Amino acid sequence: MTPRALFWSLIAALAVGTWAMRSLPIMAHGRVPHPPWLERLLRHVPVAALTALVVPGSLFVKSGDAWAAAPARTIAAVLAAAVALRTKNTALTLAVGMAALWAGQAALSAF
Amino acid sequence: MSRRRHSLIEGMRDVSPILIGVVPFGLVAGAAVVQVGFGLPEALGMSFIVCAGASQIVATTLFGDGAPLWLALGTALVVNTRMFIYSASIAPVLSHASARLRPVLGHMLVDQNYVTTMTRGRFREDVDVIPYYVGAWVALSGTWQVSNIAGALLGPMVPPSWGLDFAVPLVFLAMLAPTLKGTTSVTVAIVTGVASALLVPTLPMQTGLLVAIIAGIAFGAWRDGRPVEEAA
Repeated sequence: MTPRALFWSLIAALAVGTWAMRSLPIMAHGRVPHPPWLERLLRHVPVAALTALVVPGSLFVKSGDAWAAAPARTIAAVLAAAVALRTKNTALTLAVGMAALWAGQAALSAF
Repeated sequence: MSRRRHSLIEGMRDVSPILIGVVPFGLVAGAAVVQVGFGLPEALGMSFIVCAGASQIVATTLFGDGAPLWLALGTALVVNTRMFIYSASIAPVLSHASARLRPVLGHMLVDQNYVTTMTRGRFREDVDVIPYYVGAWVALSGTWQVSNIAGALLGPMVPPSWGLDFAVPLVFLAMLAPTLKGTTSVTVAIVTGVASALLVPTLPMQTGLLVAIIAGIAFGAWRDGRPVEEAA
């Protein structure tokens, strides 16, 4: 399979799986069993998933298969985290984080 | 104006303040598809058929990093399992929908639509909740598709030296901040953060992300189940 066909099969499978999780309880009128233990597990999905998506990208940069420490990114991410916690504003978090990264990169390359 | 139309418009109006927050996320998701070597059709496939931002980015970047298909799919689906609980909890609110309409309403269940309908729409006397929910989705989805398209078109024009890939953790950071309520969620974040820092760069075949997420979920469930004096 070409990479493009492979990627389309990923899109299709992800779409079907996501649709099923979104729709089945609504279609079954809420009668799909969702025992308390399952709810207890899934309650933690957003925090766990988002943290795992934030942390590695804030500590490292990846070039090819190698991971290297990225101090400018780490500092920028800490500043952006302060903004995110205080303002809960996506655009502002993004702006501060990117500006801090560029400032940090400029400062590091000046040495 | 008919009640149905009024409800539709009110749904759109109630989500309008949060639309601006959707835009950067959509730009990043659209740009990610182009960054791994595909184009506008694939970006639209993701934004329109999948229509679940975090999982779009996860599936796209894992695929681009050479992860096997099952892993890119599995990790993205784990990220979306929260929607199962959304669906179960919103089902009674949408129970007047016909059997034919329900599969469509399911596809419309995105985070912001769920929150807005559950916290505002269903309590409003002046609206019917189903057209309200549809209206909220139309506004959200329209914004989502346009920003994904813009990301796919504009992304390639940004030089790599700008480090735009850093926008991915930043938008997730902005989404994470409001979910950190109570000591349980903070400790889950700490455990997951340490696990991901150690595992993502080291585990083979890009499995680190999935393992770190599952470790965080398991830790949270374990902590909930533990008898503690003060409930978090």
